[in-house]
Amino acid sequence: MTAFRLEDWRAWAPGLETADDWRAWAQSPHTMPDNAQAQPSCAFLPALQRRRLSRLARMTLETAWPLCGDDEQLPFVFGSHHGETPQTLALLSDIVDGQPLSPTRFGLSVHNAIAGQWSILRGQRGESSAIAGEADTFEHAVVEGLLQLAAGVPAVLVVVAEELPPTAYAPWIADVPFSYAVALRLGKPDMNMDPSAHGNWQLRLDRADDHAPCAWPHALDFLRALLARDSSLQHTWKSRRWNWRRTR
Amino acid sequence: MNTSTHTALEQEVAQLVIDTLNLEDLQATDIPPQQPLFGDGLGLDSVDALELGLALQKRYDIRIASDDKDARRHFATVASLAAFVASQKAACAN
Repeated sequence: MTAFRLEDWRAWAPGLETADDWRAWAQSPHTMPDNAQAQPSCAFLPALQRRRLSRLARMTLETAWPLCGDDEQLPFVFGSHHGETPQTLALLSDIVDGQPLSPTRFGLSVHNAIAGQWSILRGQRGESSAIAGEADTFEHAVVEGLLQLAAGVPAVLVVVAEELPPTAYAPWIADVPFSYAVALRLGKPDMNMDPSAHGNWQLRLDRADDHAPCAWPHALDFLRALLARDSSLQHTWKSRRWNWRRTR
Repeated sequence: MNTSTHTALEQEVAQLVIDTLNLEDLQATDIPPQQPLFGDGLGLDSVDALELGLALQKRYDIRIASDDKDARRHFATVASLAAFVASQKAACAN
């Protein structure tokens, strides 16, 4: 099944916290200043539960949190091309300096750590996946969510989060202009839904002959198209052309 | 005896706990010297204990062997941690 209903969304980036902030950004997309310090408050958690949350984890939790009801169990898909580059650099730097490693940092240095923290903090006992792809990690994460829908669940959460990498990674990472997280709640298509809502969508993969990378990270460009009420968009990465179409 | 008043070293140790474990909403005076740090007290767990052990090593150059049977006692409260730090400092000075 490649058709779904976008039931709800949340997003966070430095300086872009509310739906109105994002609507304004979608009118004229631009790079947000990111000092690597600004992060969501996650004020819904007591301090003791926030103590091990990295910036990327906070971005993920802040956006996913309101999309899941208190008594709901939803499959969870976490997607990130680069993962926690600041944590990786901190651990590697300690190794180079001959310093002992922080047990907390080390324990959370796997790609599915944030999905695990979501599971623990929200009491979610169902499926969760952590995906790292290329520039089209967003589409791969959504496909993973659609597979969960096809398996019979009524709704699924998909969060794609990237953090501005430390400057040491600058020569190799060019597709994260600023830190961001985009959380989507996907459900089955609903032909009776209010057309003013977020809409029913189809995602189709075709073969691309030309390589034409998107100017923005795919998750942000999808959000831009959603808020601009575009009826379709294409994201091409290498030989993969992802066709998004709003069906109603 | 007023158990909620911190000595200078207890204040320092309480701040070390807060900084090491990112307890962002707390101040040193919020952790009474006699309050248990683990379990039903402040609510720290075994990973926090490892992290604290590392912080003591970096800050005071104190090494705690992983099989040290007294470790649990040393880590019980801010007061016991401060006493432990003081005794290690004294041992080094001698």
